[in-house]
Amino acid sequence: VNPDVVAAVARLRAEHVLSARQAAFFDRVAGRRLVSIRLEMRALLYAGILLLTSAVGLLVAGHHQEIGPLAIASAIALAVTACLLWVIRHSPPFAWAEVASSSLAFDYVLLLGLLLFASELGYVEAHFGLLGPGWAHHLLIVGGVSLLAAYRWDSRIVLGLAITTLAAWLGVSSNLVSLIAHGGGRLRANALALGVLYVAAAALSVWLDRKPHFEEVYATAGLFLILGALVSGVLGDGRSWGIWLGALLAAAGAVMWVAFRLGRSLYFAQGVVAAYVGLLRLVFAPFRHEASSLPLVLAALLGIGALAVIFSTHRRMIER
Amino acid sequence: VRHDAIAWERAAEVRTAARGWLRAGAIDESTHQAIEKMYADPCITPSVVWRVLTAGIVSAVILCALGAIFVPTRPRSTGLALLLVLFGGACLVATERLNAAPPLARRGAAGATSFWGLLLILVGVGVLLQESLKLRVADALDAVLLSAALAWGAGCWRWGNPIFAGLSAVSLFLFLGRLPHGRFLWILASAALTVLAARRLDARGWAPSHRRAATVLVVAGILAGYVALNVYSLDEHLLEELRRLDPGRLAQPPGRALFFVSAVATAVLPVVILGWAWMSRRAFLLDAGIVLLALSLVTLRHYVQVAPLWAALAGSGAALIALALVVERVLRRSPGGELAGFTSDPLFSDDRRQRFLEIVPVAATLAPAPPPGAPEKSFVGRGGGFGGGGASERF
Repeated sequence: VNPDVVAAVARLRAEHVLSARQAAFFDRVAGRRLVSIRLEMRALLYAGILLLTSAVGLLVAGHHQEIGPLAIASAIALAVTACLLWVIRHSPPFAWAEVASSSLAFDYVLLLGLLLFASELGYVEAHFGLLGPGWAHHLLIVGGVSLLAAYRWDSRIVLGLAITTLAAWLGVSSNLVSLIAHGGGRLRANALALGVLYVAAAALSVWLDRKPHFEEVYATAGLFLILGALVSGVLGDGRSWGIWLGALLAAAGAVMWVAFRLGRSLYFAQGVVAAYVGLLRLVFAPFRHEASSLPLVLAALLGIGALAVIFSTHRRMIER
Repeated sequence: VRHDAIAWERAAEVRTAARGWLRAGAIDESTHQAIEKMYADPCITPSVVWRVLTAGIVSAVILCALGAIFVPTRPRSTGLALLLVLFGGACLVATERLNAAPPLARRGAAGATSFWGLLLILVGVGVLLQESLKLRVADALDAVLLSAALAWGAGCWRWGNPIFAGLSAVSLFLFLGRLPHGRFLWILASAALTVLAARRLDARGWAPSHRRAATVLVVAGILAGYVALNVYSLDEHLLEELRRLDPGRLAQPPGRALFFVSAVATAVLPVVILGWAWMSRRAFLLDAGIVLLALSLVTLRHYVQVAPLWAALAGSGAALIALALVVERVLRRSPGGELAGFTSDPLFSDDRRQRFLEIVPVAATLAPAPPPGAPEKSFVGRGGGFGGGGASERF
């Protein structure tokens, strides 16, 4: 029971702000006589998929010689077909706007089908070599199929899988620490190119009004890649880190400005954090051979400046 | 929590509920505005993104400022302890100031200053006890754990931060685990904590933040009780490892009767929690019960290996998916989409935001990893690996 809301509902009803019907329903929810278990059911579905994909991996890795490649490939193909048939049977008609799922499990069954499809493709490729020397492109196929599925069945979860799979095809991990620690020149270039592509996809989604609700998935991933690659350049590139810093500050500034205009706090936060981390290198670089408190004082002042920017922006931003 | 802050918190609860009603289309904009006018809240409450961002930057400022004092002075033992305690005290003063100012109270800054203030004081006390007063490590650790339980608890009471309640409970249980009969003390303390905190979950007289802290304490009590009763924990002496005296010497293999009782408790406790969740219709108890049930099944699999691991995982995964599908079907077909007070509708929660957040764990655990070093060789894509929970499709 939320006693404050229960009391408020009674008062709002007494003062005729709420109708009797509204008050009765709100009172049931606030008084915990009606409880949603939507989140719990989603957690069950996610855990189920995690366990099933792990089981398939273990089975194939440990028993593929006993069972035989054909039997394994057929069994996984059967499971993929079952999942996709279920999805097709329960799918609403296609639309460029956001489509409500017919079932809570819809996204997850689709996700399971695509993950099993990826396992199937990887297994078949490893054993039968269908793609020959281009075997590595199976990730591109999986990413492409996932992208199509995300659009056809309007699934942001599957879109998330598609864009991380395409990033993996280009050798880019979704792990930012890995990107910063191991980001060589080519990895950074790939991350930047893919990030720009995703941000462009986000802009086009809104501009052309084609699945505009995909914007935040594309843009969050794209900004993550662009800013992560630039931060990686600032922290990791020994000689030309100054150029990377200039690019990072320009990009972060642009991101913060656009985020402010669009009312997107998450994009703004990505820009602030990236700029702050980049500027820390500028502050600490001149003192790397001596123990001085000056860079720490400057870093603290930089943080206070960042807080001033955050408070000022929050006051004026109309958040969407 | 300050008296004026309690009133602000209560107003914020109503305004949050009203935003949910508006989002779900249950009220119109004019009704929403009327509610906001009746329940005025002088505090500015930014979204989670702003609060986390502010707390992160404030943490960086605090640590850099501390480092700026430490580097030139390089204090040792008593000096270091004094520096940490003084700096922690300054953070707590800043917390009080921030909490007294409605425009700043809920921005995340006060949370960060209170956290670092208490942590620095506790580390300072630890340094003082061990380095200056030359206490043995075990004695100093006991004193710090007990101080931490009290300090985090007091912090929670003063500033209403539920995370501090969790930290207080963790410190308390770590302290109890180091005493003789630690397991027994865990069972007693967890039962007491759960019962006492559960009585305050809906207390009208308590501030909303304190009620949330009570929820955290109930969960902490349940989890601690489960760890103390779990048969694997008993068999492997997990709690006995915390003891301050030689853990190896004190840890005896459990007798058959004790093992049996523990095994029964491992099986029964999740069912009891799920039953409690069903009766009280509390979602967090349902979550706790599901987690404990999963842990009990893992424990069962450890002792009774009726099937290979892949079969157990596949069976469990399929069962979970089937359970979710069946529950949804049953709820949808029930009159009004509800059964025994449960529904699969989102009601007034922000379903769209939750679905966006779901992408993060899915992308983090189920997306393929790139092969190491591939991009350094070529711009073209390379193969990766699929599979959740550490499994891979590489053969």
